[in-house]
Amino acid sequence: MLHSDIKSRPVYRALEPDLSAAGHLLVIETATLQPGGLASLADAFAPVAAKLHTWLVGEAQAVPGLGKPWHLPAVADVVDALACATRGYGIGDRLYVQGTEPFLWSVATAAAIVGFGPDQIRLCHAGSLQRRVWCTHCHGFTEPVTTNVVPCAGCGRHLLVRDHFSRRLGAFMGVMVDTEAPGEVPAIEEVFA
Amino acid sequence: MSIAFKPEETFRGDYSYRNSDAAILRFPFPFPEDKYMYSVNIEPHVRSGPSDVFLRPFDVDEHYIAECRDRAITLERDPGRCQVLPHMMLAQWDTLELLMENLSADYPEHFSLVKEGDDFGSRWTWTNRPLGIEQSFIFGDAATLPCEPFEYITRQAQGDFAICDQRDDNLYMDAGMVTSQADWSLEFDVGMSFMEWHGPVPLAHQTGVFERALKYLLMLRLGQPVRRLNWTMTINPRLDTSPESFPEWGTDRASVTPDNAGRKVHLRVELQTLWRLPRSNAILFPIRCYLASLDDLARVPKWGARLHRVLSTLPPQLVEYKGLTRYLPAALEWLARHDDGRELPVGTEAGVSTLG
Repeated sequence: MLHSDIKSRPVYRALEPDLSAAGHLLVIETATLQPGGLASLADAFAPVAAKLHTWLVGEAQAVPGLGKPWHLPAVADVVDALACATRGYGIGDRLYVQGTEPFLWSVATAAAIVGFGPDQIRLCHAGSLQRRVWCTHCHGFTEPVTTNVVPCAGCGRHLLVRDHFSRRLGAFMGVMVDTEAPGEVPAIEEVFA
Repeated sequence: MSIAFKPEETFRGDYSYRNSDAAILRFPFPFPEDKYMYSVNIEPHVRSGPSDVFLRPFDVDEHYIAECRDRAITLERDPGRCQVLPHMMLAQWDTLELLMENLSADYPEHFSLVKEGDDFGSRWTWTNRPLGIEQSFIFGDAATLPCEPFEYITRQAQGDFAICDQRDDNLYMDAGMVTSQADWSLEFDVGMSFMEWHGPVPLAHQTGVFERALKYLLMLRLGQPVRRLNWTMTINPRLDTSPESFPEWGTDRASVTPDNAGRKVHLRVELQTLWRLPRSNAILFPIRCYLASLDDLARVPKWGARLHRVLSTLPPQLVEYKGLTRYLPAALEWLARHDDGRELPVGTEAGVSTLG
């Protein structure tokens, strides 16, 4: 069953720059922005504007105050861009990411591979509560998931989506829901819209 | 001491695992009182205690050969049950040394270790008679073993093993050999911090149990291991109750009736010990699993009655977390026949020296 108080679930906070950092990379999933969202980020990051790079992922938007941003079509391009980054990121750099949870953890995982430590990465959840779900049985991923129970994209079993979260996998745990009584699948409800 | 191994018994398929009378009497029964609740029940892992399983730091019993074979079967099907993050090589050697030294010192009839020196670069020769293994290797050179040192030695040991790296005032589960777990996934948990991997446990977070336990463990000292018992229930004597294989064993929970509960329902006790490792400063966390059926336990009158009382007063959150919901009523009906309501002495000792 679903426990709502599971401690492995990350806690997210609004982004603000670490003033002691050498460089700042801000990556935003534009589809999750509220009206005025970019303007308030521009305000927050104004003190470090000279050392700020902004990557906007998804539909292009005008961004007063965030410098000259890069526009990237999708999260896969962020992962590629980080993997191919010719500029070396160092211990003084900070990465700030805003978007849905699957987006946040795709970027954070790609950044970890090029050397960003956990303390250098700040994540802020925005937009849909949709989840990436990891199947404990076939180890396949299913996303985006907005329901309490979902058929696994890997093995087809009906998975109960739990609150237990793995940062390494960037995903919530999914466990077969009708093992004890085959066919007894609870009503499927949209809970992570 | 010589152990009468039972190499043919199985933990799957026909489930031919059985406990001898001696194995029942040394079972580490975990309930000193009629009620159970989480606590920081950690004590020094000294060579004594209410059960003989505490007499040696790494207990080897009659199920040794069969358990090692069951582990090999599980690893063949799912190699991901053994995982070691790349920075843990020093801790791997620490683990191999700790296990080889203790097993050879405590069970010289079964294991021996000959060392030409104590340091990396020395030639060591390990003999494991029950499994028919003799291996000469260079301590510190993984290429001289058939697999990495942690996998090598834990394939030859009973129970699961995790290694926790210590950094940032926290513990991270950065290695594991996990083939007999109570429904947790190493693939999901590897790399997690102490609070994260305990995330799903109900009730205990709110009472500060994990903060206190972590604080205690960060101060763990070399040569002063500690232990605690944990428990759950398992249907059939199955070691591989992993989430990965849940579709294979989950249905068994629906097969329990008041008539078959005695032979189907097993109390699963984990003797968890914690060891500071000398070179890596990591903590080795062996989880040694003991299984006894309700039939076995009820042959000790105090244990049958006490288990009935503990299970009938278990908080509903724990019933659900431990996966007992579906079969608990049948198990309680069976156990009620073994509880006459008399007052039971505090303590986990069997209180008898032969079985009825």
